[in-house]
Amino acid sequence: MSGIKPLAAPADVIYIYDGSFDGFLSCVFESVYSGELPFAILREEDAPLTLIDVRAILTDSVKAERVRASIPSKISGRAMELVTTVFCSCLEKKELKILEFLLQGYREGGKLCFKLGDAVVATLLDAEKHLLREAHLLKGFVRFADVGGALVAAITPKNYILPFIAEHFVLRYDNEQFMIFDKTNKTALVYQNGKAEILRIDYVTFPEISENEARYQALWKQFYNTIAIEGRENPRCRMTHMPKRYWENMLEVSDLLHPARER
Amino acid sequence: MDLMEKLTILADSAKYDAACTSSGANRPGKTVPSGCCHSFSADGRCISLLKVLMTNYCIYDCKYCVNRASNDCRRAAFTPEELAELTIEFYRRNYIEGLFLSSGVIRNPDYTMEQMIQVLHLLRYKHNFWGYIHAKTIPGASPELVRRLGLLADRLSINVELPSEQSLLRLAPNKKREAIFSPMKQICIEAEQSRQELVVYKKAPKFAPAGQATQMIIGASPETDYQIINLAEAMYGKYALKRVFYSAYIPAVEDSLLPALDAKPPLLREHRLYQADWLMRQYGFAAEEILSPETPNFNPYLDPKCNWAINNMQEFPVDVNTAELETLLRVPGIGPTSARRIVIARRNGRLGIAELKNIGAVLKRAQYFIRASDWPPSAQPSKEMTVRALIDPNIYSFGMEQLSLFQDMTGSRLPTTRDVKSITEAVEETVLCLASSL
Repeated sequence: MSGIKPLAAPADVIYIYDGSFDGFLSCVFESVYSGELPFAILREEDAPLTLIDVRAILTDSVKAERVRASIPSKISGRAMELVTTVFCSCLEKKELKILEFLLQGYREGGKLCFKLGDAVVATLLDAEKHLLREAHLLKGFVRFADVGGALVAAITPKNYILPFIAEHFVLRYDNEQFMIFDKTNKTALVYQNGKAEILRIDYVTFPEISENEARYQALWKQFYNTIAIEGRENPRCRMTHMPKRYWENMLEVSDLLHPARER
Repeated sequence: MDLMEKLTILADSAKYDAACTSSGANRPGKTVPSGCCHSFSADGRCISLLKVLMTNYCIYDCKYCVNRASNDCRRAAFTPEELAELTIEFYRRNYIEGLFLSSGVIRNPDYTMEQMIQVLHLLRYKHNFWGYIHAKTIPGASPELVRRLGLLADRLSINVELPSEQSLLRLAPNKKREAIFSPMKQICIEAEQSRQELVVYKKAPKFAPAGQATQMIIGASPETDYQIINLAEAMYGKYALKRVFYSAYIPAVEDSLLPALDAKPPLLREHRLYQADWLMRQYGFAAEEILSPETPNFNPYLDPKCNWAINNMQEFPVDVNTAELETLLRVPGIGPTSARRIVIARRNGRLGIAELKNIGAVLKRAQYFIRASDWPPSAQPSKEMTVRALIDPNIYSFGMEQLSLFQDMTGSRLPTTRDVKSITEAVEETVLCLASSL
């Protein structure tokens, strides 16, 4: 099969893109058509001062669209799903790793996704698993407070998981208005009047909680503290299942993070 | 009495119920099919449901129970409206996935069940609540009430409490074996009928769509582990239970028929029972393979799967490139997920050790039991190394105290905690002991 383009060769160049998925796909386009595998692909804000050749890749929606269409047709639908999910993950150097996966996929086709033992594929699958697991955990760990009839919550996940929990919460609270603010990624899922959207927001200040809200929070804390069996205390087990980095947003355990501050 | 006080008393009385799962109900958004944990309490158990009793007043006098009639404790009861509202408000704030409702028996079983049905009815049809509901049926309630409860709840459960009829007679004189197993059978039959009707008619009423579960107390009565897992296996088969829960007995009341108040709950034993339970449900093991009348109790140092592997070395090594899924599942270090992934991955080329590592098999254990394209290397591992890799690392965190609870039950070939000073020493002795018997 001589018509197939060979894998891009490693090159001493760093691609800079704007952080969007289309921007990333433009980088893929650039890589395939110049036949070079860049040393790194970085967001604009992370651009380093270095002697290596740095190339800014402009986001080009036409090029992006061509790459987007090529993934399901040349590799598989599963590959598309994997790529979009991993792009939202906190995997280090995710852009480069996805690019390597795509270059290999263009050569090998859809069966690549079933090579679960392959190092490139396994890295992406692990990142995907990490993200989906975090999304699943947060379906449980999000704590809403009722402020004037609307529900508000803040989260600090490692991955960008809002798109993966949006449907769940929209279906669960279809008659409510709510907002989940993701502090890590500075975005918020806002649902009101039957419409949900994800917005970029730098910060949100939540209003003071009402007396009624404080009552339910106290009831919940009391329930939480009562339901544990004293003879079986197991802090390690609790931390395995509910890692401490989630505690700051969970009212029943947030006090435990800073015991000194407790009055 | 205000709500805070009631909640405290009634959650406190409900906490010994092990089950808190919310899996098996499929209403997108309202429930999560795989279940969803909302928090974990200080004892490391998942909090998924608002687990409370309707009331802790009880006319029964089961010896092991904190709520028994003769126990002098504070009593309270929720009104149906109060409990429904609390559930809704907790659910709105995403504290919980739903309600787990059990109750002490007031007046008689039927009256108690009617109270519970009232709460569920309020939730479902007045507040339009479609979150998860797990309800306990009261032994001795009429079949018609069990039926009504099943049409409102996602999961029903009825506790067998103690693993044999003799123990039940001795410790729970008001509960008859018949009163436990006849509703269990009824639930099994009605759920099956409901599933068949749903095939024909989409809107047929759903009866306990998430199935039924049960719980038994471990360590309050003298049954062996072999008896317990055989009973569990029988119930899984006969009544199509989704889960059997095991609850290490925590002395809560003084009674001459029970372990002393300062006795420690047998947590490691409970852990082994759950591991065995998992082997029966997910790995295709039969109870008879895990334990036998000759060795009726678990090995405290090895999990049941490793224990089986050591006693069946003739089955190994298993070739990961050709073995059936069921065979792969028997290899220590390969679980259901990695077994399935191996089967998928090997269609696209032979697997070596590097691939297995990427797939997620635990090679620390699996390496002694498999053949792969570049494995094993020529040198045979020593028996000692094999055994050492299999020792359950968890026993270090469970500690000496838990091991000592096995003292009188383990087979004679394992060191007893009397002979050794530290847990490391005990493990070393066990390694030598097991290695020599290989």
